Amino acid sequence: MRDGDTSPRPAPVLTHDHARFLGDSVNEDQTVAAASGGDVATSAVDPSDSLAPAVDERLLYRSIFQRLFIRPEVGAIIGAVGIWTFFWAVSETFGTVGQTFGWLDTASTVGIMAVAVSMLMIGGEFDLSSGAMTGAMGMLIIYLVKETGELGGRGLPLVVGIPLSLLVALGIGYLNGFVVERTGQPSFIITLGTFFALIGLKLGLAKRFVGQIQIGRTDEASDFDVFRTIFAAEWERNGHVLDTRDFFYIALVAIGLVIVLLAISELWFQRRQDKQPVGLVLFVVGALVGLGGAVALHSVDGVAGNAIIAAVIAIGLIVGLAGWSMWRYEPSVDRGTVVLDSRMRARLGGGLALVLLGSVVAMLIDSSSNHQLFFPFTTQGIRVILFLVLICVGIALIAMASQAALSVNPITKFVATSVLATAIAVVAGTIFVDSSAAKFRAALAPLIALIAIVVLAWAIVGLRYTERRVRAARADRLGTRLLALGAVVVLAGLAFRMFFVTADELAAGIPPAKTSVRLLWFVLFTIAMMWVLARTRFGSWTLAVGGNKEAARQVGVPAARTKTQLFMLVSVAAWFVGLLVAFRINSIQANSGDGQEFIFIIAAVVGGTLLTGGYGTAFGGAIGACILSIPAIGIASARWNTDWRFLIVGIILLLAVVSNKFLRNKAEGIRR
Amino acid sequence: MSEAPLLQLDNISKFYGSITALTGVSTQVAAGEVTCVLGDNGAGKSTFIKILAGVHQQSEGTIRFNGEEVMFDSPRGALDTGIATVYQDLAMVPMMSVWRNFFLGSEPTKGVGPLKWIDTKKAKQIAKDEMAKMGIDIRDTEQPVGTLSGGERQSVAIARAGYFGAKLLILDEPTSALGVRQSGVVLKRIVEARNQGLAVIFITHNPRHAYPVGNRFLILNRGRSLGSFAKEEITVDELTQKMSGGAELDALEHELQSSGVSTD
Repeated sequence: MRDGDTSPRPAPVLTHDHARFLGDSVNEDQTVAAASGGDVATSAVDPSDSLAPAVDERLLYRSIFQRLFIRPEVGAIIGAVGIWTFFWAVSETFGTVGQTFGWLDTASTVGIMAVAVSMLMIGGEFDLSSGAMTGAMGMLIIYLVKETGELGGRGLPLVVGIPLSLLVALGIGYLNGFVVERTGQPSFIITLGTFFALIGLKLGLAKRFVGQIQIGRTDEASDFDVFRTIFAAEWERNGHVLDTRDFFYIALVAIGLVIVLLAISELWFQRRQDKQPVGLVLFVVGALVGLGGAVALHSVDGVAGNAIIAAVIAIGLIVGLAGWSMWRYEPSVDRGTVVLDSRMRARLGGGLALVLLGSVVAMLIDSSSNHQLFFPFTTQGIRVILFLVLICVGIALIAMASQAALSVNPITKFVATSVLATAIAVVAGTIFVDSSAAKFRAALAPLIALIAIVVLAWAIVGLRYTERRVRAARADRLGTRLLALGAVVVLAGLAFRMFFVTADELAAGIPPAKTSVRLLWFVLFTIAMMWVLARTRFGSWTLAVGGNKEAARQVGVPAARTKTQLFMLVSVAAWFVGLLVAFRINSIQANSGDGQEFIFIIAAVVGGTLLTGGYGTAFGGAIGACILSIPAIGIASARWNTDWRFLIVGIILLLAVVSNKFLRNKAEGIRR
Repeated sequence: MSEAPLLQLDNISKFYGSITALTGVSTQVAAGEVTCVLGDNGAGKSTFIKILAGVHQQSEGTIRFNGEEVMFDSPRGALDTGIATVYQDLAMVPMMSVWRNFFLGSEPTKGVGPLKWIDTKKAKQIAKDEMAKMGIDIRDTEQPVGTLSGGERQSVAIARAGYFGAKLLILDEPTSALGVRQSGVVLKRIVEARNQGLAVIFITHNPRHAYPVGNRFLILNRGRSLGSFAKEEITVDELTQKMSGGAELDALEHELQSSGVSTD
C-alpha cells in the first residue's frame, strides 16, 4: 500500500460513475492511502476509509433533469404558468395582449424591488423600509424639481435633482446598513424604524409644503421630456405594424420548442461514441417538414386542412427526433419483454378508465346550463370540476405507472408511455369536440394534442435508445444551456406577437394595448443581478455573508461592507422605482409604496429565496413578482371582487413556502 | 526535521483582567513538521490558537516567525504573514459550492477597471487540481460544501490554506466532531500537508489522534504548559497520562470504565 507513489489519482470523473453503474468495485482505498504516502499509524486510521464520494454505493444516480426540477426557480416557473392558465381559463379577456401588458407592468416595478430584496435576503438581511422608500424617492424628486414652495424658487432642473435624489437614496441605504452592522441588531427591527421614519417624513413634509398628501406635476420641470423617455416611454402596439409578424412568431416559438426538446433528449440519453451522420440528415429533413407545417398551419383555415397539417407536423417531429437520436445516442441493446405487474396494470387500466369516464361525463352534462345545482356550484361548474378531477387523477395514475416502468425495461416503459400519450390525446379530443368556449377549442386542444404527440415521440425514441444512467458533465452543460436558449427563443417569438400588430388585425379594429419602458428596465435589471450573483466577487460574498457570516469574515470577506452595499442596492432600486412612478403618473401620493415591502419579500420567498439567507436567485425574485402580479390583474379581468387578491396572495405564499421546503428537503436528500 | 523552527514561542502568557488563561507556554514548529497541542477542556487551547491567529495578543512572551519577532493585531495580519487557521465549525459556507468556498475572499478575476468578474473556469480547475493534490477527487466542484462529510470539509479548508500560501497551518480540533473513519481522513490530510512542507499545529484533546501524526507534543493543563516533548521522548500512554492530570485519572478511569464510558 505504501509504495511511496505520491501521484494523485488521475481518475477521470466518469470512471467512478461507470464503475458504480456496472456494479464494479473500484478499490479507492488503496489509491488514497498510497497518495498519502506518509507514515500514518494504521492503529488510528481505518484502512478501508475513503474520501471518494463517487463510489458511495448509497448514492443513487439522479439525472440533471430531476435535479433541475427541484430547483425553486423551476418550481416558481411552473407555479407562474399554472396561475396564468387558471386565470386564462376563468376569465374572458385575461390572455389578451392588453391584459398581459397590464400584469407585466405591475410585475416590473414589483419585480425590480423583488430582485433587489432577494439579493439582500440572500445576504441574510431584511429591509422593511423598501416599500415606503419607493414612494419617498418619487416624492423627493418632485420636491427637488417642483414643489419647493416656501423653500423658494422654481426648483432644480432634473439633471441636478435626479443625481441628488440618488445620493439621498444611497445615504438611506448606507444608514440602514451602518446601524444594522454597528448595533448587531436584527435588520428587521432597525429597518422597521426607518420605515416609520420615512412614512412620517412623507406625510409631514407633504402637508407642510403643499398642504395635502398628494404632490405632483413632474412635467413642469425642465428637461422633462428627455427623462420621461428614459423612465416612462410608452409603446403603442397599434402604432407598430409588422405584416411578417406571424412568420417570426410561429417560427421562433417552433424553433424554441424544438431546441427545448433536443435539450431534454441531450439530458436524457446516453451519447454514442461513433456519430451517425445519416441521422443528422434525417433530423434536418424532419425539422424542416415540422417547421414548414407549423408555419403553414397558421395560414390554413378549416378543420380538415388543420388536421392534415397537424399530422405533417407530427410526422416531421417524430422523424426529426428519430434522426437526431440516431445521430447522437447509443441504441438500446436489450429491450426485454413487456412485464406489467398487477399494480402497474391496475394503474394503467384504472387511469385510462378514469380519463375516459371524465370525457363521457363532460359530454353528457349540458355545458351551457347555468342552473344553480347547489351553492356555489352551477351545473356547468360541476361539469368542469368532475372533468378536471377525473382526468387529473387518471393521468396521475398512468404517470406513476410509467415512472415505475422506467426501472423495468425499455419495452415496458414504451407501453406505459404510449398509454399516457393516448390518455392525453383523449383529453385533447374531448376539449376539441365538447368545449363551449371557442378559445379552449382553438388554443388549449391543439396544445394538449401537441403534448400527446411529443409524449408519443418520446416513447418511441425512448424505446430505441439508451437512457443515460451516469453523470456526464458536458452533456449536462450542453443540455441546460440549450434548455435556456430554447426558452429565450420561445419568449422572443412571443414578444413579436405582443409588440406588433398586422395590418389585418388593425383593419379588424383590434383594441389598443400599450406598455412602457419599465418592462425593459425590469428585464435588464434582473439579468444584471443574475450575472452579479453568479459571476462577481460581490455575488459570491453576498451568498457567503448570508450563509455563514463568521466563516466569510474568517477568510477575509468584508462582511459588514458587503451587507451595507446590499442595503444600498435596495435603496437604489427603490429610488429607481420611485422615478418610474413619478414620471409615469406625474404625481405621487404620500402613502405610495407603503406596505409593499411585504409584497417584495413574498415575491422573493415565492421565487425560492431562503428567509434565513445564503440561498436564492435574482431570477426567482423576478418570477415571484410575476406570480403575484398575475392575480392582481386576473381577478379584475374575471370580474371578481378585487379584495379576493389578498386571499390569493396568502394561499400562494403558503403553497410556495411548503413546496420550497419540500423541494429543499428533496434536493438535500438527492445531494447526499 | 532538525532545521531551524519556523515558529518559536517563548513563555507566552495571556491574562484577561485578573484571570490567567495561559502562563509560560513555550514550543516550536518547523516546516514539514506537526506540533500537536493537547489539553482537556479549559486547558487554554482556545486562547493559544487565538493568539497565533491574531484574534488576541499575548500579554507576555515572544512569538518568532522565521526568526523574526512578530505580533499580530488582526486575523488578516496573521493570514498575511502565512499563518492560516482552520476552525472546526466555521470553516465553510455550507450552501455554497466547493469552488466558491475554496476561493472565497480571494476569487481570481478578469475584466478591466470596475467591471471585474470571477474567472469561474480557472477557479473550478484550480480547486479541482488542489483537491486532487490532497488525494481527493471532487467530481463536481459545483457541489455544495454542505453535502460533503465533516472530514471532507476540513480537507477543503486545509487545501485552501495551502494554496493561498500558508506556511503554518493551525487546525482547531479538526477531528473532535468526526467519526473514526472521518478522523482518519483528516489525519491523512495533515500528513499530506506536512509532506508538502507546511508546518502544522494540530490542536486536539485526543492523544490517539495526535500521536501518529505529531513530531512534537505540547501539553496544556489549566493554562500551564506541562512540557513540550519530541516524539522520541514520550509514548502515547504517557501522553494520555500527562494530559489528563496524572495519577488522579487512573482512579477515575477505572471508575468510568466500569460504567462503560471511554476516556478518549
